[in-house]
Amino acid sequence: MKRTLVLFVMLFLPLGAQASEEVYVFNWSQYIDPAVLELFEKETGIKVKYSTFESNEALFAKLKILKKDGYDVAFPSTYFVERMRRLGMLKPLDHNKLPNMKNLNPDLLNKPYDPDNAYSIPYMWGSSAIGVNAKAVDPASITSWNDLWNPAYKGKVLLMDDVRDVFAMSLRSLGYSGNDTNHEHLKEAYEKLLKLKPSVKVFNSDSPKQPFLNNEVVIGQIWGGEVYQANEENPNIMYIYPKEGATFWVDNMVIPASTRNIDYAHAFIDFMCRPDVAKMNCEYVGYATANVEAQKMLDEKTRNHKAVYPDKVDIDRGEFQADVGETIIIYEKYWEMLKTQ
Amino acid sequence: MKRIFQSAYLFFIYLFLYIPILILVVYSFNTSRFSTNWQGFTLNWYRVLFTDGPLMEAFANSLIIALSSSTIATVLGTLGAFAFYRYRFLGRQIMYSFVYILMMSPDIVMGISLLLFFITLGLSVGAVTLLLAHVTFCLPFVMVTVYARISGFDRNIIDVAKDLGASELQMFRHVMLPMLMPGIIAGWLLSFTLSLDDVIVSFFTTGPSFEILPLKIYSMVRLGIKPEINALSAVMFLVSLFTVTIAHFIIAKENR
Amino acid sequence: MVRKSRFRNFAIGSPMLWIAIFVVVPYIIVVLFSFLTRDPEGIVRWEFTLANYREIISPVFLRVCKNSFILALGTTAITLLTAYPFAYILTRIDENIRRFLLLLMIIPFWTSSLIRTYALIILLKANGILNTLLLSLGLIDEPLSILYTETAVFIGLVYTLLPFMILPLYASLQKLDRSFIEAARDLGATSRHVFFHIVLPLTLPGIIAGSTMVFLPALGLFYIPDLLGGARSMLIGNFIKNQFLTTGHWPLGSAACVILTLLMFMLLLWYFISTRKAHSGGMETVR
Repeated sequence: MKRTLVLFVMLFLPLGAQASEEVYVFNWSQYIDPAVLELFEKETGIKVKYSTFESNEALFAKLKILKKDGYDVAFPSTYFVERMRRLGMLKPLDHNKLPNMKNLNPDLLNKPYDPDNAYSIPYMWGSSAIGVNAKAVDPASITSWNDLWNPAYKGKVLLMDDVRDVFAMSLRSLGYSGNDTNHEHLKEAYEKLLKLKPSVKVFNSDSPKQPFLNNEVVIGQIWGGEVYQANEENPNIMYIYPKEGATFWVDNMVIPASTRNIDYAHAFIDFMCRPDVAKMNCEYVGYATANVEAQKMLDEKTRNHKAVYPDKVDIDRGEFQADVGETIIIYEKYWEMLKTQ
Repeated sequence: MKRIFQSAYLFFIYLFLYIPILILVVYSFNTSRFSTNWQGFTLNWYRVLFTDGPLMEAFANSLIIALSSSTIATVLGTLGAFAFYRYRFLGRQIMYSFVYILMMSPDIVMGISLLLFFITLGLSVGAVTLLLAHVTFCLPFVMVTVYARISGFDRNIIDVAKDLGASELQMFRHVMLPMLMPGIIAGWLLSFTLSLDDVIVSFFTTGPSFEILPLKIYSMVRLGIKPEINALSAVMFLVSLFTVTIAHFIIAKENR
Repeated sequence: MVRKSRFRNFAIGSPMLWIAIFVVVPYIIVVLFSFLTRDPEGIVRWEFTLANYREIISPVFLRVCKNSFILALGTTAITLLTAYPFAYILTRIDENIRRFLLLLMIIPFWTSSLIRTYALIILLKANGILNTLLLSLGLIDEPLSILYTETAVFIGLVYTLLPFMILPLYASLQKLDRSFIEAARDLGATSRHVFFHIVLPLTLPGIIAGSTMVFLPALGLFYIPDLLGGARSMLIGNFIKNQFLTTGHWPLGSAACVILTLLMFMLLLWYFISTRKAHSGGMETVR
């Protein structure tokens, strides 16, 4: 009995001990090259504690409850920055401490979700558009979101399992904004989706490339980065930017209000904006970097892969996700109705 | 004939349980980084695995939490099942219904309400709060399993022990515990399994200083589960299998 | 009469205190939330309301509940039918090997359930192992579509929850006194008779334990049904998660949770009343 007790104490003692020179990073798993973290530790002497989350929503809920002793740097996507900023969950950034900001892509700065980047710094970005399996569907025949409604693809369509992504697609196909808050427009989008529902084989936003690679679906929504990965084994999976415009997202670095050390947080963010570091991360993760200097250093094949780095015209046609405020409740109501039909 | 039929049935159940594990052992040698399709043979993921410090640390943390929480839950749960069976006390029925509520609570609700509770108490989230949470959600599974074992017993056994002058503690230790052992072991195994696999409750009740394996695995989904996780699962599976087999032969030898 | 001993106080006190602190108190928070108003700028506003309950009782929510209950009931039935013979055969085996087989049963479950579910996808998908095997054996001409059907969902759920049925059944079957069975056989009882009138009633505690441990968690599970079933419908787990995470409407999510608890208690009550009748009938025959 005593021995068990001693063993327990021994097991838990090291957990209580903490070095003070640490920066706490909250991110998706595998979203930073481990070598970058080692380099940061070597150069600054600050140890990185890397924790992971599995969805923006879960990140938001946790940061909302944590008031202190939380994380120094977190990586929320597009409109979560807006929501967190509005609710006072973020610390303003001191741009003087972030000289490497100059390397960032101006197209991704000063966006509506965070004017002047007072609270966030873009890290990686991408889009969601139409994926097709060229063996079953002629890619040239697909130009619009409306093509998903083609009865020929009945039972072979994939939609994301995310209320905002799916409604953005339907709203765009009707000619509205993907961030629309007009209740009438939402109803129209819902009714249109209801017609698509019987064609849908699977809702998946964890890894939409898998049903494509497994020949379970031939057309549907997908992320550019997923197509890039899928092409490593099946070049027939094509990525098409619809004429109504794709949806764009940006993952950003922010400093949560529960930060332990705001100076370390700035040091870490600035380090991540260094071109050589951004290049390492970009090559490791396979998503598009927000760092233009790093982008220039990439090999030609990656730099020119349209699924990862779209043409300017496709960017301009597309739309960045924005917070819809309280209308999210209406979205969710329609989503529940759609799913239970 | 009957024996053959029985053996065949066991064989098919084990086959059902082991096929997915065999698949992932095989796929841990797959060269493709993202795919569920076979691309070629490599040992690379095992090399990557053993050099991935944070992943190994998270794995060690998971084991520590699973071992300690299932042990604590088993002690508490066995006492609880015994108390529900043997004693009448105030609030007994209500407490028992909370065992069911707990088992049914969606993870997200349990995670958020526990986090709110810990924050209100002024605790900072980390290993300790994680342990408290894991003991909590394991507890009902031990209680119900042990209670199922205990409730079929003849109450006379207790009376006989008491008549022979045993105290409550002696009766529990020398009469009940040995008889309850299969239930206790079953409860411990279930707790260990649950704790090792929990994601949502853990996400909310642990802090930045204490990362565990399931959180790492689930948050990989967006960028694709790395094959080194298959390698880790394969290693862990083979180590468990090896340990259990060795233990089996040692015990069998001693009994002979 | 039970004497009040220090052990008695400890045996009652420690687990009950734990439940009171870590189960009852957080649950009170949930109940409290279900009567409060959502605050768009924070979490909740301290204004009492019944609106959440009015909102939750809707055809959509009832459909969601129905989906989940059917799925959980089906899973419980299949796991019970699969696990009972398994546990029964196991108890007939020599003790040394039995322990080994029991551990062998649980080892696969120490692998992350997500990873195991992915492995099931590899097995079941259109160009997967099962289809390739069946095609090459000439048993089928076209790939079976199993993935993203209800069959796949049940396979996944049964696979995940099987030990929660096997272990309590094993624990309660293992103490079954063989002399009862032999006595009944000597008196000329048929196998069927022995099973339904002796074995089944005696192992009822194990069956109840296993069924609750499969049924209750299955109600809230959604990850496995989503991955294997294609997420075309919504389960209670999704519904509650979305209230907490997508819309941030914690009071509504809490109300859904409270309603779920009430539904479960009604079901359990009905179950206990109906089985108590059946059970007492069964025991009388034995005696």
